[in-house]
Amino acid sequence: MSATGKITSIQQLKNVIREQTALRKAEKRPVLTVSAGTCGLARGSQKVIDSLMRLIKKEKLEKRVKVKGTGCHGFCEAEPNIIIQPGDIFYQKVGPEKAGDILHKTVLKKKVLDELLYFDPNTGEKARGELDIPFYKKQKRIVLGDNALIDPTDINDYFSIGGYGALLKTLSGLTPEAVIDTVKRSGLRGRGGAGFLTGMKWELARKAKGDLKFIICNADEGDPGAYMDRSLLEGNPHLVLEGMMIGAFAIGAQKGFMYVRDEYPLAVKHVTQAIEQARHLGLLGENILGTGFNFDIQIAKGAGAFVCGEETALIASIEGRVGEPRQRPPFPVQKGLWAKPTNINNVETWGNVPLIIKKSGDWFAKIGTENSKGTKIFSLVGKINNTGLVEVPMGMTLREIIFDIGGGIPGGKEFKAVQTGGPSGGCLPKQRLDLPIDYQSLSQAGAIMGSGGMIIMDENTCMVDIAKYFLNFLRNESCGKCLSCREGTQRMWEIVKNISDGKGKEEDLKILEELALAVKDASMCGLGQTAANPVLSTLRYFRKEYEDHIKRKKCPAMVCKELVSSPCQYACPIGQEASTYIAYIAQGKHKEAFDVIMKDNPLPSVCSRVCNHPCEKVCRAGESGLPISIRALKRFVMDWAEKNGIQYVPPRVSQNREKIAIIGAGPAGLTAAYYLALKGFRPTIFEALPVAGGMLAMGIPNHRLPKDVLAREIEVIKQAGVEIRTGLTLGKDILIEGLFKSDYKAVFCASGAGKSLKMDIPGEDAEGVLHSLEYLRDVNLSRPTKIGKRVVVVGGGNAAIDAARAALRDKACEKVTIFYRRTKAEMPALAEEVDASIDEGIDIQFLMAPVKVITKKVKAAAIECVRMKLGEKDASGRRRPVPIKGSNFIHKLDTLILAISERPDTSYIGEGDEIKRHGENIIIDDETGSTTRLGVFAGGDAVTGPNSVVDAIAAGKIAAETIEKYVSGQIVTRDYRLVRPLIYVKPAELSEEEAAKAKRPVIPALAMARRRKNFEEVEGTLSEIAACREARRCLRCDLETEDGKSAIGAKK
Amino acid sequence: MIELKLNGLNVKAEEGWTLLETARFYGLEIPTLCYNEGLSVFGGCRLCLVEIGEGPKARLVSSCTYPAEEGLVVRTDTKRVIEARRMMIELMVSIAPNSKKIQDLASKFNVTQVRFKVRNEECVLCGLCVRMCAEQMDGRAIGFQNRGYKKKISTPFDLRSEECRQCGGCIYICPVCQLRCQGPEADTTLCNACLTMDPTCLDHYDELQCWMYDAGRCGTCVREK
Repeated sequence: MSATGKITSIQQLKNVIREQTALRKAEKRPVLTVSAGTCGLARGSQKVIDSLMRLIKKEKLEKRVKVKGTGCHGFCEAEPNIIIQPGDIFYQKVGPEKAGDILHKTVLKKKVLDELLYFDPNTGEKARGELDIPFYKKQKRIVLGDNALIDPTDINDYFSIGGYGALLKTLSGLTPEAVIDTVKRSGLRGRGGAGFLTGMKWELARKAKGDLKFIICNADEGDPGAYMDRSLLEGNPHLVLEGMMIGAFAIGAQKGFMYVRDEYPLAVKHVTQAIEQARHLGLLGENILGTGFNFDIQIAKGAGAFVCGEETALIASIEGRVGEPRQRPPFPVQKGLWAKPTNINNVETWGNVPLIIKKSGDWFAKIGTENSKGTKIFSLVGKINNTGLVEVPMGMTLREIIFDIGGGIPGGKEFKAVQTGGPSGGCLPKQRLDLPIDYQSLSQAGAIMGSGGMIIMDENTCMVDIAKYFLNFLRNESCGKCLSCREGTQRMWEIVKNISDGKGKEEDLKILEELALAVKDASMCGLGQTAANPVLSTLRYFRKEYEDHIKRKKCPAMVCKELVSSPCQYACPIGQEASTYIAYIAQGKHKEAFDVIMKDNPLPSVCSRVCNHPCEKVCRAGESGLPISIRALKRFVMDWAEKNGIQYVPPRVSQNREKIAIIGAGPAGLTAAYYLALKGFRPTIFEALPVAGGMLAMGIPNHRLPKDVLAREIEVIKQAGVEIRTGLTLGKDILIEGLFKSDYKAVFCASGAGKSLKMDIPGEDAEGVLHSLEYLRDVNLSRPTKIGKRVVVVGGGNAAIDAARAALRDKACEKVTIFYRRTKAEMPALAEEVDASIDEGIDIQFLMAPVKVITKKVKAAAIECVRMKLGEKDASGRRRPVPIKGSNFIHKLDTLILAISERPDTSYIGEGDEIKRHGENIIIDDETGSTTRLGVFAGGDAVTGPNSVVDAIAAGKIAAETIEKYVSGQIVTRDYRLVRPLIYVKPAELSEEEAAKAKRPVIPALAMARRRKNFEEVEGTLSEIAACREARRCLRCDLETEDGKSAIGAKK
Repeated sequence: MIELKLNGLNVKAEEGWTLLETARFYGLEIPTLCYNEGLSVFGGCRLCLVEIGEGPKARLVSSCTYPAEEGLVVRTDTKRVIEARRMMIELMVSIAPNSKKIQDLASKFNVTQVRFKVRNEECVLCGLCVRMCAEQMDGRAIGFQNRGYKKKISTPFDLRSEECRQCGGCIYICPVCQLRCQGPEADTTLCNACLTMDPTCLDHYDELQCWMYDAGRCGTCVREK
């Protein structure tokens, strides 16, 4: 039986509630509740309901199962989801095709469908019921929890969970003062954002003079990413109505308005239905339940202006005027809607009222913190695993919400910031994760509670971009009345946009701060007073990011399009215009491509073979497929030039400027010397070894970088006017002091990292134990090496792989094994090198660490290793390997090559040289490369420790730039420029068929049979057709900038 | 009578007075732009800011809209007030640098530089014309359109208004188009712009609202050409 006629007395309502509650208890059929809020419907829950109903009808199962469409269950990530009672089974991401299985297996045979259960990626376990899921475990869903129980379109269903019991209690003899007192005792604060005490507000409204009073429910939810009010209205409209009725009784209001935005059609529909049902039963209208209490509710639909969430603007909007705030006082409680006393509360606030009345104010006050009582619903969105609505007691920390409930950041990315409170709120960084959330703590930290939006951002989010986004929102949504807010948000947006576009100036931050404070101070309403928060909070916690944008023209998260241009060029330490030469290759203009490459790189043939290609890691084509083979394309151009007899002739410059000394003929030294020579200086490189090239010549074997390729490029560098003196060791043959005395005006130390690091294990000095660098040097200088049959290499870097592959090519060697203490994912060596070595038959054993070398007499005979497992992340962000106790084993060998790591050897620097070092690494100023001694610069591996070739070349280029400034008496600074190609080449036009077929080419390689016992180069070059095809696949990100667009005429 | 504290003085205000009226009654000067005694208050230009309250709860409000309240502590010339006001003036100059009234404000408050990109617009949206038209001329020909940075003043649907009687009240009261300063020209020491009382035709409004349109043009636009 359900209530149909008018309920005219308190006793009658009591009966209805009792009957409905009993009916619910008497329900013997299993009940399937399908989440069908807006989020569920968007993911297709209506189809699920339909197919369930169809099947039930077809198989006449009406008496054996009940299906109920409910509001949002909160776990939006798992939509559409179904909760099955009794049994408490939670099925997630249910498709309509599962209807049969659910009905036949779960409902009729009581069998749980494993594939529909929630899978916890952290524990690897399946969760059966709601409360087994970590997302729900820590929540306290006193307001939102009923969503999953009731059909929001049926008032009887609400009765059946004791709904309208609080109204019943109120009208059964409570005085308005008693109701207000209960709310006051509960400590409930406004959930709309400002957090004013609800009880106090009601008391003021009660005491306000006036025969006609209004109450309003503010459902103008406008924060981007916040939708808790919508879900509550959609899923449990009667709860909110009941709250309003109690409030109206307490205040003495005769009329209520529900101001809801028209973009919430389902919420509008459900609330309209609910009002009609309540009115039909006599819960709204004249003489409610025969108590003489008159109250009715009307819906007012808003057009979606953000500012209409401000109470005075909302009132203006209901009155039919432009939604602009006005000065308070007078407050709405004095002069509100049509100048009558008006009380406005947020949806969630009203939703809390029936609970408080039903259970008591003291019960509510026990939940939460000292100043903030109860629970708060947050909408957890953005870069988070478990998107959804979470209801937690006040005082829970951000960390618990984001990591325990939210399940952390997807894709193993790093958490960066959380934005709370919508556009008026602020961004809080990692350091604030342990902040217990309540009204005070958030505003002290520079954010606000707001209505409960919580946007999670990961490392790929640019905070300048975020500030720009919110300012853009605000400059559109400001009502525009106050100059401070209208013009202030516009100007702040202009400044931040300029910064994000790479046009920022250093004084911008000062203006921005000044303006932000003025906007905050001078604006009239809450919107204006908080409009500066996105700027102020990001400036407070992420100032360095702003500075990077302004000063270094870098966007660390690689988001700001105008700064990044093409990611390949952006990520390249020497700014090679990859997109340009790729575009030329696509057109068959290989000579032009060659010129573009030569412009920025003195060692392109070397790079095209051994570069660790940071460009390919960030290539946008790699986001949805495989990145462009940028290195192979460069190799193609260099080989094409070589084949066609095109030689690069450096421009002739008369060398009449000062003498510069360069220590070390590695990539850093060669590059610095080359660019200095092109500037007219007279550089001399002093090299300790008999040949130039540094690690390129000594560390990398011929199979990867043939000696003649390197020699050719060094020859070009010499042609530019660089003198290279080999066989001269600094500290022994020459002293830094002596260089200055010999009229060298500046010194660049690029002595590399040429010392192998020791392992500190017993037996390390035994015969047959080699160190990778020393071994590779002997190989490269064609000196005799002592390699046995069974070779073991320890290490995971490029030196380890190079040594292993070189050993494999030794005539005496039969088997090479590599031991590495972490896994393949953590290996610092180039992935393609690792793969190639496995292809060649090298056995790589992961998670193994050597403990000691077992010797037979003086000779190494075996190695004792221990197995490892990955533990917590260390400082480098890689998971630290930890030994598994008792897993030691012994591996026999003839030769052991240790390739742990390398370090610089800068023992040539004496005390008197006044050059500060950290261990053996030279300390420099990161901007300019200057050491602590005037006139001495340093760069490359001697500073950074073992690092990539291209980074060393970059260090050489920076040194050439700053040394020029130093020698010519200018202030030594670094000039940062926007990343832009010199020329924009027309993009290739691909047919759809070609675009669909395009894929990364396989790089030709030497046949396996020809690789043993010789050092022939392994990697081959792409054919012209393959290269052109690959080049045409490039997405041409460089054309995405304003410059790029206008250059190709895509923009007027 | 309401008793309150104004710049440290105990003063009395009549019921219904705003803080601006109170301050002016006691001879304290507070600059205004969108305020006019003959029109309703608007509170948009934010020049008449004063600081009310004390300690951490002290805040700025526009004195033209804020009512005198019993026991309120009001200060009209704190650093905070001056700084915010100067920023408002800087913003105004950046929108409409040619307004003599705004330039006068700038020089009075020592705003000597504009750090924002100058836009050269002919309206700072003070709304005086809208209120003049509606309240004094009973015209209601013009009003605000849009919100945020797109806000502007125009006739409904940007069409020539049937309500407009070309009374010129809007131009009379406009702080920007009235007495437009053309700025000193490079080759003439005295530009005399301040002495030219003719209203300058606004390119922005075209013929739509030129109050001389039907009367046969004032000639300013012809002369400028």
